[in-house]
Amino acid sequence: MTDQTPIIETVDLTKRYDEFTALDSLSISVHSGQILGFIGPNGAGKTTTIRILVGLLKPTSGSARIAGADCLTESRKIKRLVGYMPDDFGKYNNMRVGEYLDFFGAAYGIGRRQRVVRIDEVLEIAGATYMKDLFVDALSRGMQQRVAIARTLMHDPQVMILDEPANGLDPQARIDMRSMLLRLADMGKTLIVTSHILPELARVCDIVAMITKGRLRAFGTLDEIMRDIQQRRTFEIQLVDHDQVDRVAGLVENWSREMNHSSEVTGAKTESMVRFTTELNDREITPLLTHLVGSGEAIAQFREVPTDLEDAFLSVAGQSHDDDQAKEQITSEQAASEQAAS
Amino acid sequence: MSSAFNPVVQREFFGIVRSPKAFATLLALTITFSIAVLMRWPTDATVDLSGIQSIQVFRVFGYGLLAGVVFLVPAFPATSIVNEKNAGTLALLLNSPLSPLSIYLGKLAGVLLFAMLVLLASLPGAAACYAMGGIDLREGLGLFYFVLLLLVFQYATLGMLISSYVQSADAGVRLTYAVLFALFFLTLVPDAFFPGGSGVMGTIAQWARYLSPVPVVMQIMGQGGLGSRGLMESPGNLQFIIVTLVSSLVFAGITIGRLNYRIFDQSRAKGVITDDRGLTARLLRRFLFIVDPQRRKPGIPWYLNPVMVKEFRCRRFGRSQWLFRLVAVCAVVSMVLTFAAATSVTSWGTETIGGLMVILQVVLIVVMTPSLTSGLISGERDGGGWELLRLTPLSSLKIVRGKLLSVLWTLLLVLMATLPGYLVMIYIQPQMWYQVNLVLVCLAWTVVYTLAASAAIGSLFRYTAVATTVTYVVVMTLFLIPLLVWLGRGAPFGFELVQRVLLINPVGAALSVIETPGFENYDLLPDAWYVAGGFSAFMFLVFGLQVWRLTRPV
Repeated sequence: MTDQTPIIETVDLTKRYDEFTALDSLSISVHSGQILGFIGPNGAGKTTTIRILVGLLKPTSGSARIAGADCLTESRKIKRLVGYMPDDFGKYNNMRVGEYLDFFGAAYGIGRRQRVVRIDEVLEIAGATYMKDLFVDALSRGMQQRVAIARTLMHDPQVMILDEPANGLDPQARIDMRSMLLRLADMGKTLIVTSHILPELARVCDIVAMITKGRLRAFGTLDEIMRDIQQRRTFEIQLVDHDQVDRVAGLVENWSREMNHSSEVTGAKTESMVRFTTELNDREITPLLTHLVGSGEAIAQFREVPTDLEDAFLSVAGQSHDDDQAKEQITSEQAASEQAAS
Repeated sequence: MSSAFNPVVQREFFGIVRSPKAFATLLALTITFSIAVLMRWPTDATVDLSGIQSIQVFRVFGYGLLAGVVFLVPAFPATSIVNEKNAGTLALLLNSPLSPLSIYLGKLAGVLLFAMLVLLASLPGAAACYAMGGIDLREGLGLFYFVLLLLVFQYATLGMLISSYVQSADAGVRLTYAVLFALFFLTLVPDAFFPGGSGVMGTIAQWARYLSPVPVVMQIMGQGGLGSRGLMESPGNLQFIIVTLVSSLVFAGITIGRLNYRIFDQSRAKGVITDDRGLTARLLRRFLFIVDPQRRKPGIPWYLNPVMVKEFRCRRFGRSQWLFRLVAVCAVVSMVLTFAAATSVTSWGTETIGGLMVILQVVLIVVMTPSLTSGLISGERDGGGWELLRLTPLSSLKIVRGKLLSVLWTLLLVLMATLPGYLVMIYIQPQMWYQVNLVLVCLAWTVVYTLAASAAIGSLFRYTAVATTVTYVVVMTLFLIPLLVWLGRGAPFGFELVQRVLLINPVGAALSVIETPGFENYDLLPDAWYVAGGFSAFMFLVFGLQVWRLTRPV
């Protein structure tokens, strides 16, 4: 459930290091209770954005606000509003989990008695109650992530920003992390989550921001992004016998040619499967199945491969790469023509 | 590079030589040697037939070179194995066809080759000293370089041994410097109490003395051994060579024995909480630990700085249970020293004992403070904790206060532990009450001075190991330079110069106030306090600015 005023808002947020632009006019808004999946390859500008939001970095231009507080000028307010879990755990030696959380609680100015109760609460939320007496520096990666979530929750922030929370986790720990994120959203927290493991994000995020080379390439719900992306669909034809593969692949290619559409057709004999990608819509693709059956081929299944976040991201990243190359080419051509003119 | 050549040597040696700190080391040493020789180079055309002038130059040069070797060479072996282990490359090396011996020799050769470069950089200075005449090539210069080579070998093997045991590079640096300090100075103390070498204790004390290079080097410099006893004095060159070689081979043997997969087999003990143990165990642990590290601790109270409490709980060196033990040892040692003076176990007077107590306290402060302080900021940055601290509402002032207080309380505790010794001294000689007061003020200034310097210098570096090494070198230089100049009092350095140089830190003032032999003529108060105050204020300012710079968004 979301209200109308965005709790997180960035407007033309830009960060430059000399000639290098780490973040280029990023404008996004997230409403209360939403989970934003922040996606991008390494060095895309995700961490830069996050560090500006939590007040660790100063933007070159633009602004960022959380719950109405400016991230640069109202850093004390921001520290109370936001819980940030960096990729690096930040362990202290010889400290037990309880002492570790107690220290951060004290640093946030939580009273001693309240802290004792709060430590148990956050450990319970993070599913880490049994770790309370363990040494922080002896925890496994998965355990550290849980303790880090507990630490982030200590001062009960409105907004939680989690940098790669599923990084280095085994499949079971990832599932646990996913349910923990959903639980936090149920508690009314607004979350920004970055991850390289896109299927994980797809399952928990309300909205997605895709960023490459410091620029926002796509922003919205996953469905909106899918609709926006001009992409080809992939179909799979499951055959009964592997001997059919070459024949059916030839039939698909000929049919596509007759229909004046280009298709990329591949056959996998070991799987008795033919795959093809096309830009045809459902109405246009239906005659193909009739054609194959009419040609006497036994078809076990004819299905579309669902497009996921990974495909969408690759499509957006590929598109942005092409755009960048085109821009570079135009720029170099302009420069060449200017040089020739002079 | 031929295939017969140990690849580890190549990587280690070039790895060291390519590092900026190695370049800075060589450059600093070359400049220092040149300045040292130039300072004492004769300016008039008079020929000095006695060779005294050249010996004076040789002393300055020799002690400078010795200090350079002691300070700079151990930093590299001390991090050599632990860095490799933590980076995961030691596992790769152990998995290669190279034997543990080849790996060890490769790493050792890398360090030794670099040390050779350091010694080579000093050769023009040595040649200049020799050219002035009056220095024997074999018994003087040759023997001195041989002693240095032995020391380099011993320190390299010792550093690598320690490096194979510790879990972090800064712990390696810290422990290596502490052990070197003990080898250098503390090995001389037993012989001072059991002179003459009779009996088991006397023999042990005499052999312990051979672990220190100080008597041999002083003999080469024509100053007699430390604690010289006239004709009975024997620096024991041969024994020193034997002890150094044997100890180096033992260090090397143990380290080679540790170079196998068991070196990684160190799981973190979960540590049973004392509160969950039986009553007897709880009582026993309370008695043994005083501050039991395994006890479930109550929350941090509102009146304490959370950063200070965190430092006490999590730092690798100087945690409460060890501090209390150290304080107990300090109290006992200071009492024994003073009691020894009172009961005439030694021929030393109360002044000498007082001087010895001051020196021991200063050694303790100089060894402990850089360890506790240099990693205050770099340790956080190294371990990822700094980012988390920046996210909390703690102001930079509160962080600075918490961090400094955690060290200050520790040092004051150590300082107070030696008070019983001074009380006994006042009891024996009540007229020393005023002097003891002044000495304690000087020592308090020494604590503040060392703390400020270590905190400021350590905060300038990103990595704890580098911060620890540089802080040790700078702090030890600050304390040893005045002592080296004092050793050359009369010749080559005049009274005025020595008095000025002794003002660099408050130790000279403490020694002069308690009338330690050799210091009684210098009038250093209250100027030494002003210098210490000004220097400390400047260093605290640097530290505060650095913390402020690191906490603000950039």
